[in-house]
Amino acid sequence: MTPVRSWLARRLLLGAAQTVAVVLLVFALTEALPGDAAVVLAGDQPDPARIAAIRDTMELDRPAAVRLLDWAAGLAHGDLGTSLVSGRPVNSYVADGFGPTLLLASLTVLFLVPAGVGLGVLAARHQGRLVDRAISTVTLGVYAVPEFALGVLLVTVFALRLGWLPPTAVGYGTDLLAHPAALVLPVLVLLSRPVCSLARMVRAGMIEALASPYVAQARRYGIHGARIRYAHALPNAVAPAAQHLARTVDWLLCGVIVVEALFVIPGLGTVLMNAVAERDVPVVQGLAVVFGVVTVVLNIGADLVTRGFAPRAEVTA
Amino acid sequence: MSAYADERPGRGRRARPGRGRWALAVVIVAVPLALALLGPLFAGAPGPRATSFTLGGGHWLGTDFVGRDVWRQILLGGRPVVLTALAATALAYLVALPIGLIAALTHRGWLEELLMRPLDILLAVPSLLLILLVATVFTPGAAGLALLVALANIPDAARLVRAAAAEAASRPAVEAMRMQGETWWRMGVGYVGRSILRTLAADAGIRLTGVLYLVATAAFLGVGVAPDAADWAVMVDRNRTGLFVQPWAVVVPALLIVALTTGGNLLFDAALDRAGRPETKDARPEKKMGKRT
Repeated sequence: MTPVRSWLARRLLLGAAQTVAVVLLVFALTEALPGDAAVVLAGDQPDPARIAAIRDTMELDRPAAVRLLDWAAGLAHGDLGTSLVSGRPVNSYVADGFGPTLLLASLTVLFLVPAGVGLGVLAARHQGRLVDRAISTVTLGVYAVPEFALGVLLVTVFALRLGWLPPTAVGYGTDLLAHPAALVLPVLVLLSRPVCSLARMVRAGMIEALASPYVAQARRYGIHGARIRYAHALPNAVAPAAQHLARTVDWLLCGVIVVEALFVIPGLGTVLMNAVAERDVPVVQGLAVVFGVVTVVLNIGADLVTRGFAPRAEVTA
Repeated sequence: MSAYADERPGRGRRARPGRGRWALAVVIVAVPLALALLGPLFAGAPGPRATSFTLGGGHWLGTDFVGRDVWRQILLGGRPVVLTALAATALAYLVALPIGLIAALTHRGWLEELLMRPLDILLAVPSLLLILLVATVFTPGAAGLALLVALANIPDAARLVRAAAAEAASRPAVEAMRMQGETWWRMGVGYVGRSILRTLAADAGIRLTGVLYLVATAAFLGVGVAPDAADWAVMVDRNRTGLFVQPWAVVVPALLIVALTTGGNLLFDAALDRAGRPETKDARPEKKMGKRT
């Protein structure tokens, strides 16, 4: 096999192993329950009818291995299970929450790349000067701030004091695109951390690339500055950043859960938090598998992109 | 998690004196840190409950959602955040250090695979998701939350330790010690462990801010805390309903959390500048995910 093919095969194999691990981990959760799972899950309302219903829905009287196989087979066919609380299929929960979350995530990524790369290039071009120092300090400071703290402060200033934007998305339902004002603050909060880390990565990569021999050589040939920056240096600077971007998927997911809770947006994060509060194990498990698989797939995608930008960069499988 | 892998000594000019940033960081982090560490000493006994979300009436910052004095809650609320984060960071290293050191020093391929491969796979699970999954079936307390956050940090920390230690372990000095018949302890801890201390210190600072983020976010989502706990993150969550009437109960704890995380991150970065950055580039998992490529 060519090196590229063998790398790809190994990377996909790791992805498959990660997917299997997520499924096993999520399944192991019900097994980890102390004592009788049905009694524990019934919680505050331990009446026999409810316990029997839970036992029936989760098929707790069958051996764990059989249930795992059944559940995994269902997952393979796109069947995520049935809710304990409402009796509705988990798929319908996912379908309900999918739109708003996808909208938030895609808007964030849409703004993330130009904002992060732009700030990074700007700082690198003015390396060591005031612009660079301001960008470096602010990105370093903001990137550690939890979304909820930043979010409530922005709400207080822009919704409460100034009255420019609505404080939450209450009353808009799932049709958020029709109310763009309600989306400004959530997307801004979601952007805060990834933009900072991306800008820092791009800045570092650009500075290194601009100091490299090939850029010096290109300058000697008299190639235009902008062309050197954007056609030669930037692709090399973006490669490690793309790799890093994959790791920020983790943050984006955390961010989506927090931002949906904060701005009362009826997306997957809200569905997940409600299910956690109601101890609706099948819904939590189904969503966890969805989130886990999305993370795995996005990580593979980012690794492919990284290789595309700089094939010699080492990306492991 | 890394934002510091970008700047290394010797490459590029470092025109920044660093002193300004150092001072800025200390000023920002001093207030929340002092409140968190010393606040409980000055909190005093709880006063009688007043009406929810009022201003004035002897309450400097008003009252919260159940009518408690906001200032007293703030004095009490920093300690759990900071202590849980410190405990979680320490716990993560307690597990990651031996795993990483053994994986780096062993000459048995299967042992290294056995130790490191499962961690590669665990990296795929988003940390907050892991915490929420466990919170569905158990009700973790503060100690449970620290354990969970530590667990979420182990894969990354162990990889960092292994990568840094693998470099030190391949030095001639270690070969010489091996031939001399030195004990594993003297090689692993005495030599390799000591040579990666700088990298570890740098990583510990960055990791602590990451852990602080996760602890505060989990508490905001109601994991690992009582619904009426004196905790800055819980205060932000529970007092949000009164944001229009009594914003101080939300704004002050939120500002303190922002100051703590921002200042902490700036402080660690300035400290790294001052101490001289370790050569961490190859040790970062984002750059090089394990040694096979």
